Amino acid sequence: MQVYLKIVVTSILLLSSLAIADTRIKGTGGVSSISGSGGGGIIPWATLGGLATQDQSSMTGFISRADVDDFTLDVKGLAVNLNNRVEFSLARQDFTIKANDAQISQNKYGLKVKVAGDLIFGQLPQVSVGIEGNSLRDPETARAVGARDDDGIDVYVSAAKAWIDGPFHRTSMLNLNVRSTRANQFGLLGYGGDDQDRQLMIEAAAAMFVTRSLAIGIEYRQKADNLSALIEEDASDVFIAWFPNKHLSLTAAYVRLGDIAGAPNQNGFYFSLQGAL
Amino acid sequence: MRAFPSFKTSRLFATATLLSLFLGCSNMTPEKTLYQRLGSAEGVANITELFILEIARDERVIAYFEDSNVQRFREKFIEHLCMITDGPCEYSGDTMVDIHVGMNVTEGAFTAIVEDLIEAMTKADVAIGTQNQVLDRLARLRPEIIYL
Repeated sequence: MQVYLKIVVTSILLLSSLAIADTRIKGTGGVSSISGSGGGGIIPWATLGGLATQDQSSMTGFISRADVDDFTLDVKGLAVNLNNRVEFSLARQDFTIKANDAQISQNKYGLKVKVAGDLIFGQLPQVSVGIEGNSLRDPETARAVGARDDDGIDVYVSAAKAWIDGPFHRTSMLNLNVRSTRANQFGLLGYGGDDQDRQLMIEAAAAMFVTRSLAIGIEYRQKADNLSALIEEDASDVFIAWFPNKHLSLTAAYVRLGDIAGAPNQNGFYFSLQGAL
Repeated sequence: MRAFPSFKTSRLFATATLLSLFLGCSNMTPEKTLYQRLGSAEGVANITELFILEIARDERVIAYFEDSNVQRFREKFIEHLCMITDGPCEYSGDTMVDIHVGMNVTEGAFTAIVEDLIEAMTKADVAIGTQNQVLDRLARLRPEIIYL
């Protein structure tokens, strides 16, 4: 908790030195992913959170909830974007098992650096490299199911490209991630297993601005199946995101998380509210 | 008099039909140019006028226009927008680089101008798909405009 608090305080101090940054085109900062980093919902994108340009910095804060058949996941967090180059993020995930109200919580810390290109302009896609640190606060379940560790590090490379005049003359975006991870169920069931350990996973997203304020899209996240005792499946979602202005977004999604800890076909709704400065 | 067209005639007919399918679809219902979809000369002039009004009240960018001659800007922007949207005009102004060199137009100021143009086109009832085609063509000029 102490580290968590420290990061919150540091972020607020950083924010106090920032002016309101809103000089990129609305929606091009995306929303907040469940890891806290800028992106879609279930995966981060190459975009950095907020609407800072290279001359500015910005900050985003969010709350999200996924409610599937047998579980809920509540996430809150924030991210600081420095000069649209470096993004620091943190998030707290609280996972609840509906049947017995038991909770598993973990903290996520993220660093994402834009290394090349631009989302909209020029030929190169925007390419970013990210690191996610994950620490499980309730490791008993993870240990019980055979996970090797309570914490783990993910590293990913992400590329995103938007076309102003995309399909149907609508501004559209594609994003592709390659992630090196040991996580079981986003880390909620620990890291590494008896079957497999670190692996490369693919993640992808496609989105389209139907109007200047309304985007629709899909996401896919390949997930490893490290534990012999349980089945883990890939996750996907379809989403709609509303950007009433440059400082607010509301996302609704239908998520399919597959089998989680022996409970099959975990589908349900996801909502996320983001504020950006 | 023949009851059926000769083999030669029917082959010619078939070839012509195929050719018109490949080449002719757009000729049968000619697709409007981007310029025409903006409302041709009148539409482009109207968008330009609304664009100038948006810039004039945009505190983010107005400083860049302090020394510009509004009449000349209007004239040259109309020409430029007309040319870039396949209209019957030749742009006679200075190059984008010549105009913007020394101004140090930031990425943020460029975005602000894009937003002003979106607002102008929206007020002129230009459909979002048409707006995006215009923006896509103008966005290509970005390297000739910012941080010079």
